[in-house]
Amino acid sequence: MTRILIRHEAILGILFAVALFVMAAQSDRFLTTANLLNQARLMTEVGLIAIPMTFVIVTGGIDLSVGSILGLCAILVGVFWQNAGLPLPAAIGLSLLAGTAAGFANGLIITRFRVPPLIATLATLALYRGLAEGISQARSVRGYPEWFAVLGRGEFLGIPTQLWLFALVALAGIFLLRFTAFGRTTYAIGNSEAAAEFSGLPVERTKLLIYTASGFVSALAAIVFVSRVSTTRSDMGNGIELEVITAVVLGGTSIFGGRGMVIGTLIGLCLMQILQNGLSLSGVRGDGTTVVIGAVLIVAVLISNILGRFSND
Amino acid sequence: MTPILELKNISKAFGPVKVLTGVDFDLYAGEVHALMGENGAGKSTMIRIASGDHRADEGEIRLDGEPRRFAGPREAQAEGIAVVHQELLLFPALSVAENVFLGHQPKTAGGFVDWARMRREARELLDRLDCPNLDVDQRVSKLSVADRQRVEIARALSRNARVLIMDEPTAALAEADVRRLLEVIRRLRADGVGIVYVSHRMNEIFEIADRVTVLRDGRSIGTSKVADVTEGSLVSMMVGRDIHQLFPKVDIPRGETRLEVSGLSLAGVIEDISFDLHAGEILGIAGLVGSGRTELAQTIFGVTPATAGEIRVDGAPRRIASVRDAIAAGIAYVPEDRGLHGLVRPQPLRENVSMAILDRLTRYAVVDTGREQRLASEAIERFSIRARDARQRVGQLSGGNQQKVVLAKWLATDPKVLILDEPTRGIDIGAKTEIHRLMGELARKGLAILMISSELPEVLGMSDRILVMREGRLSAIVDRKDATPDSVGAAMMQTRREPAAAGGAR
Repeated sequence: MTRILIRHEAILGILFAVALFVMAAQSDRFLTTANLLNQARLMTEVGLIAIPMTFVIVTGGIDLSVGSILGLCAILVGVFWQNAGLPLPAAIGLSLLAGTAAGFANGLIITRFRVPPLIATLATLALYRGLAEGISQARSVRGYPEWFAVLGRGEFLGIPTQLWLFALVALAGIFLLRFTAFGRTTYAIGNSEAAAEFSGLPVERTKLLIYTASGFVSALAAIVFVSRVSTTRSDMGNGIELEVITAVVLGGTSIFGGRGMVIGTLIGLCLMQILQNGLSLSGVRGDGTTVVIGAVLIVAVLISNILGRFSND
Repeated sequence: MTPILELKNISKAFGPVKVLTGVDFDLYAGEVHALMGENGAGKSTMIRIASGDHRADEGEIRLDGEPRRFAGPREAQAEGIAVVHQELLLFPALSVAENVFLGHQPKTAGGFVDWARMRREARELLDRLDCPNLDVDQRVSKLSVADRQRVEIARALSRNARVLIMDEPTAALAEADVRRLLEVIRRLRADGVGIVYVSHRMNEIFEIADRVTVLRDGRSIGTSKVADVTEGSLVSMMVGRDIHQLFPKVDIPRGETRLEVSGLSLAGVIEDISFDLHAGEILGIAGLVGSGRTELAQTIFGVTPATAGEIRVDGAPRRIASVRDAIAAGIAYVPEDRGLHGLVRPQPLRENVSMAILDRLTRYAVVDTGREQRLASEAIERFSIRARDARQRVGQLSGGNQQKVVLAKWLATDPKVLILDEPTRGIDIGAKTEIHRLMGELARKGLAILMISSELPEVLGMSDRILVMREGRLSAIVDRKDATPDSVGAAMMQTRREPAAAGGAR
């Protein structure tokens, strides 16, 4: 298993190096510390959600509702703070709680009622977005205090604040998936849920926890997002689930479950971000960028499949 | 008279494994020729060669005395050779008539399917099989197993089959349906169809077959008239030795009671099962497919928690609502379907061996990979598992070695009660013997073993007592000294005896 992942990561690494080189040659504004740090800042929301999404996809599931949870939680921060008059930290806390509950609800629908994750989260994608729009009444909330902007626009030790948060979540993800019984159970579920069940592994509990974590981290991403743009609107995070899933799959996680690593997701994420940035710096329009990212995804998955055929049994 | 089908000196190898060596077989019109042999003896391969699925490496196939080569199953079908497979190959979403004529529907002059003719002819075929109440427009998914089998036979007849090969046709049938099937076979025989009948069931062989051929380890051991053989002589032909020599059964004094099951039920599946199991004892469970053997095991193991009854382990009542409860109570279960339930095939050997005790191998949630590695190395050594190393994926191992990994995984839980569901299905003879020896060794160490098996010789050879199930209920518990193919077989089928006599008088 590891051998194939190393292969996939090696391919990604090469692609990453090529992209870096090409982009640097195209524009001298690309390979600067300021630009790279800024790109990292922009990548954080997608990146945060991609960590639990890696777990979700390794179990053979999918969570399409993360963008809607992000939107809902962003709106809730504004509503709790401005309309309900709560102190901002309390509003943030409640919003995180709401995101966690939304993820927990996904998990319950999937484990208790045996609804396939694709259907369950497609439904909650609509449901949570609808709630966000209903609550916000198309009004945006602005005027957040100065201290709140530190999370989204500030720095700590010369590094954007949210990157520290991202690093923390990513490290936790690596640790959990790689070294713990929880991670082992996650892989076993993705490879053969029945065998995991027959081995006495806590299948339901693990899945429930993973979807709950996905909701919680989506809420965390919402807070970072609101802080960065210092406004809340109900359409925030629209379509972000597709970027997240692209990063995870580009990173070598099998959409059928059972295979994948957080490190791969991180590389996939970085590759996507520099492609976007580099192409826009060299004057390619947004839709052109999307085409390139799609092509890279297909090429990466194709190459690793072809190589995988030779190394596999 | 020349036989309609003749296999002469057939040999076949898959890679380095020789499956058939110089096998001879012949079949006359209007005869039922039984084919017997243990699992892995080469019956399926022989059927596949006769029906054009596989090509023989050596030897020839003759039809009506003419040598033939089949490029594929279609050619064999065109010559009137049809197979009714064990796992019925029907299309559940299509109607009975569509299934019967799939691939050779009657056409109108315009080239469209002639539905009226198709339904009419399907009706005629089904009437010939004595099932007038089977609706030709019914979807196959709504039919019982027995009715599906009739549809499959009708499909074979629709191609004017002269040779009908039936692969364990009664394995999944209830008693009444077995009777009707045998009746249908008699009619076909009277119509001049030649029938190859593969079955493990002695009673059926003696009731329906005219001749019997026994295969063992890919060779034909002999062909005799059924009237000239006895059950005992057939069994010794099949296994090659006396049963008690083949199975290294060690006599172990019965220890204290390990498992007590009383009044155990799973609504609609198993009902009111009571028995006890002692340390050092091997209790075999016999019964037909669908008699509730696996369901009983999975109820004790908490996969499908019981709806009534009590389970005691070492005298203490245990509530078993999940697999985890069962493991905690000291019960381990080696499932029937290794690939699906026993192992996570894409994962390495060591991760599989540790899977059932993962929570015991962790410290602060972190898996102690050092201990895991030691556990896996010990397992490889103790069970002589042929694997490159502990990191090899279990999916790459042979069936016998996979089964040893499953055993190692469950013995790591240090169980008091070990349930083995078809422990030697689909593994080669060498690994089989090793697993049997291991069972004896474990029993000697005081483990209580519950063994489910569809192979009667295995049940008879390995068990101290035999628990016989029928239609979800306990039918009998037979002691080793009283256990014969006859006594156990009778308990499996119970009502089989009297109708058999009636059939013979006809």
